[in-house]
Amino acid sequence: MKGITKRFGELAANDSVDLDVGEGEVVALLGENGAGKSTLMKILYGFQSPDSGTIEIEGKPVRFSSPRDAMASSIGMVFQQFSLIPALTVRENLQLAYPDLPMVPARGGGRDERLLAHLKRLAPDLDPSALVADIPVGQMQLVELAKVLNLEALLVILDEPTSVLTPIETKGLHERVRQLAKEGRSVILITHKFEDVASCADRVAVMRHGKMVENRTAVGLSAQELSSLMVGGAKVVPAVRVPPPAREVPLLEVRGLTAGDVFSSVSGIDLMVAPGEILGIAGVSGNGQDVLGACVAGMREVTSGEVLLEGVAVQRGNGGVPDPTVVGFIPERPSVNGVAPDLDLSVNLALKGIPRLPFWMAGRKPSAVEALPMLEAYDVRPRDPSRRARDLSGGNLQKLVAARELSGARKLVVACYPTMGLDLSATQAVYARLFAHARDGAAVLWISEELDDLLRFAHRISVLSHGKILGTVAAEGADRNLLGRWMMGAAA
Amino acid sequence: MTFIELLLGILLSGLRSATPLLQVLLGETITERAGVVNLGVEGQMLSGACAGFAVAAVTGNPWAGLFAGIVAGMLLSSVHAFLVLVAGANMFASGVAVWLLGGGLSAFFGIPFVGRRIDGFASPDFGGAAKLPLVGPILRVATPSVLIALATWVLCSLFLYRTRAGLRLRAVGESAESASTLGISPTKVRWAAILAGGALSGLGGASLSVDLVRNWVEWMTAGRGLVAVGLVIVARWNPWYALPAALLFGVVESLTLRLQALGVTISPYLLSTLPYLVCLGVLVWGSARARSKGGMPRDLAQVFSKTE
Amino acid sequence: MTPSLAVRRKALAVRYPWFEGTLFAVSATLVFFVSSLIFFALLGRSPFLLFGELLSGSLGSSYGLTETLVKTIPILLCALATALPARLGLLTVGASGQFYMGAWCGTAMVLLFGHSHWAAMPLMFLGAFAGGAIWGLVPGFLRAKLEVNETLVTLLLNYVASLLVDWVVYGSWRDTSNLGWPATISFPQWVKLPLLINGSHLHSGLILALLIAVALHVVLSRSRWGLSLRILKSNLKLGEGVGFSWTGNVALVMGIGGAIAGLSGILETSCIHGRLESGIALNFGLTGFLVAWMAGQHMIRIIPLAFVMGALLSSGDALQLYAQLPEATAVVLQSILFCSVLATGGFLRRGRSP
Repeated sequence: MKGITKRFGELAANDSVDLDVGEGEVVALLGENGAGKSTLMKILYGFQSPDSGTIEIEGKPVRFSSPRDAMASSIGMVFQQFSLIPALTVRENLQLAYPDLPMVPARGGGRDERLLAHLKRLAPDLDPSALVADIPVGQMQLVELAKVLNLEALLVILDEPTSVLTPIETKGLHERVRQLAKEGRSVILITHKFEDVASCADRVAVMRHGKMVENRTAVGLSAQELSSLMVGGAKVVPAVRVPPPAREVPLLEVRGLTAGDVFSSVSGIDLMVAPGEILGIAGVSGNGQDVLGACVAGMREVTSGEVLLEGVAVQRGNGGVPDPTVVGFIPERPSVNGVAPDLDLSVNLALKGIPRLPFWMAGRKPSAVEALPMLEAYDVRPRDPSRRARDLSGGNLQKLVAARELSGARKLVVACYPTMGLDLSATQAVYARLFAHARDGAAVLWISEELDDLLRFAHRISVLSHGKILGTVAAEGADRNLLGRWMMGAAA
Repeated sequence: MTFIELLLGILLSGLRSATPLLQVLLGETITERAGVVNLGVEGQMLSGACAGFAVAAVTGNPWAGLFAGIVAGMLLSSVHAFLVLVAGANMFASGVAVWLLGGGLSAFFGIPFVGRRIDGFASPDFGGAAKLPLVGPILRVATPSVLIALATWVLCSLFLYRTRAGLRLRAVGESAESASTLGISPTKVRWAAILAGGALSGLGGASLSVDLVRNWVEWMTAGRGLVAVGLVIVARWNPWYALPAALLFGVVESLTLRLQALGVTISPYLLSTLPYLVCLGVLVWGSARARSKGGMPRDLAQVFSKTE
Repeated sequence: MTPSLAVRRKALAVRYPWFEGTLFAVSATLVFFVSSLIFFALLGRSPFLLFGELLSGSLGSSYGLTETLVKTIPILLCALATALPARLGLLTVGASGQFYMGAWCGTAMVLLFGHSHWAAMPLMFLGAFAGGAIWGLVPGFLRAKLEVNETLVTLLLNYVASLLVDWVVYGSWRDTSNLGWPATISFPQWVKLPLLINGSHLHSGLILALLIAVALHVVLSRSRWGLSLRILKSNLKLGEGVGFSWTGNVALVMGIGGAIAGLSGILETSCIHGRLESGIALNFGLTGFLVAWMAGQHMIRIIPLAFVMGALLSSGDALQLYAQLPEATAVVLQSILFCSVLATGGFLRRGRSP
């Protein structure tokens, strides 16, 4: 790829980007959220066309107008948000991506075997007639990979593949990547994790603010160098660890919490958090975190069990009375769960206080005057309180919700992936405010996928797997392997 | 009349009654499987019924009538496709617009044909077979549109689950985003699905006016198209279940007609509410099941819950 | 839309807040005119002459104007009945069913208490409100508790309600002394609202309808309740989390909406026809839906649009008399208008964000 430029309005998502990958080479494409990596790959895969620049495959220039063209040129992409269709079977998903599928595909027979050949190598125990909705996430990724290999892809693009895997599954993926390279295929690995780079990359290409700023060999690269490459000279004020609380009567107590539906659920959750304590919940997403967070915060109805705040039942349902004014809740996927997209920022920020307004609102309507300071403090862009929430990007919505939930005194803060989609400096800023509540004596329940951050900043860590708490340890000196095994579902 | 003969008689007349509904139901199932709701099927049915009747009356050829119905249905459904896929309008509102358009146009152009009667399909002479106890009634009921409907039922179901195109259709309905990453064009697939729905609902309307009742009155479909949209949910978007679902409605409808004929003193109007109430009841039951056990194409679920 | 056009349009939109709305209204009207012209031309009639008849028939004479206003009343009320639930995100097409049930229950009250000079009218209205409200609460309940799609339920109930009216009009409530068209006995004078213009059909229900529209607008835009509806519509789970009740509000909007449509039903029955007959709802329910949609569910904007629709429908009579065009022409024009609005709205929205 030479000189790729792509603009969206005034923003240059890609600015004269060059990238080349050799045969059998693994290139790690790094950069913070918003650096332009996904745009670049979308162009390579045919989703978008560049405003200027060229793409050459084996020396020949190509033009992609759709993913079909990219697939025809032997480029395959495994997406972060999987492109598998849950309601269809594994076989059907492979069929959809298979070139030269006959009009009436037969079941069984020579064609079928060829279709499933790669899959059988990657996941020999997987039943092709199973619905994708029923198979575990790690296997889903293998199906995706088989899909791509079925195209005899010579270039495989993997988008943040390890973000949904447990440590053991991650190791497996690294092996597969190396295997692909040995077979002579080229791999572009989009990631922001050091371990991905260290384990399988030959070269490292770093993007920042739409530009390719580094392209060097991965040999001898340290974690420190890597993050400084990604951030450049930007000033990042790292969050400071909060001292652990003195052992006291717990502020938050969760007893036997069972809730959820067929898609996501938790059962028999027991937790205790002291005032000023940060309890981290580790685990790969999809194990019930959204239900746990929403129920503890009183936003979702429980089937049974209690959530006690200072001894008072505040769960929704089962006789409890939720109190949204003393609870700060940053939900999973705030753009969907945390904002009213059609309403403006002022209303979204003032949401918690609206039920207590008088019937005729008159002068007490949510206003820009109250909204602006919060937008400023959390660096929400655009800084316009009259904008509708749906106009904001995902990262800014995250900041908006954080602004609403973390401003003001709170007794309990429940944060579900509070820094997803945020760059390094914004992440540290949110952490700073989150931990400030702990310093002020609130109980903080922090659900995160970033095990390293949990180990660094939380006081204790519990692991949530398949809707149950498998164990709790002190963060200081915790055994990463043990946590990894718990995350896989192995009993303590 | 033995009990079996009675039961068979009810089923067969129910089948006859259900034939137009079955066609529309299959058409709308295909459309919704691609992720598009089309309330305009009622208007498409009406335009098919009107065009079909008009052509059959003028040419004297009922087959031409059925064909005309298909064309009329497709033309009207292309309006819905244009509004939703090209202009990006809300699909419920567009459906209502198409419904109204179909109703208005068919009422407008159908005026010269109100009250006319046609001969419909010439019934073949089966000779002695028509007098046989079980086979006879079946032969009498099996008019071309019934047979076509049954054939369509089998073809649609096989199409959806056994062909490459059907697989792609299902993929688009589940997730247009995922489908496009696979190189499928959701827009093209949806156009095809909407037009197919139009063809089938037009055929259903034509079957009603040309074959079943053999006359034309404005707004004659009396909500069958809308009942079909409800029954798609009951059939869990599975064309195989379309036949039992349509049959349910058809049986209730023909039962109410029989009760009237038997001189039951309940008002015919009250009896006529039964099919709608039964449909409503089944819809409620079906919605509860669809919610808990799934079956609804994923993309469609977003359309139904987010109504704007 | 080319980038430079889009940029210029955005600049205009920022400078003049009324720009987008006017652009939409003007474009939609243009598309409608062009489409109808094509339709008339295809019929082999001079489009301009027909439009002339249309306008003069509906607005050109005092008779035409009163007829337009008469038709406006039920359209306005049915549009309000559709727009209120739509504020909560509920898509109902059930106004005609609620119309019929309001007429049904109101008529029942008149048949029972019609002899009382002072109690008959209030009881009639109460009956109408109750009937319409129930017919709105059923789909509301099914949606709130069982997540059944309310559009389909209301559509089916429309047919049921119409048949229920037929049942009594042809059956036990039929006035046997009237040998003509099946209907109930004529309503006494004291259940009819006073006329606005003597000698015409125009009754003071118009004032009532206008007041309801204004009242709804004021409450929805200035009260905490109106804001809570917007929140629930935009994000249901979030609204519930903050403390607002989905079920309660569904009941409220469906009930009030149904009552308004029921009012429209009894007004047509009592003040226009003077008795309950079959098929009086015509297309008012669907027309109300169209008007509400085109007005963006905005209570005040509904008023002029309902008037326009009333003119369109009453012009149908004029076209029938003078141009020998069938009644269905008005329905066709209505649907062309709706399609134009949908198409224009869609394209303009697409042009805004490339």
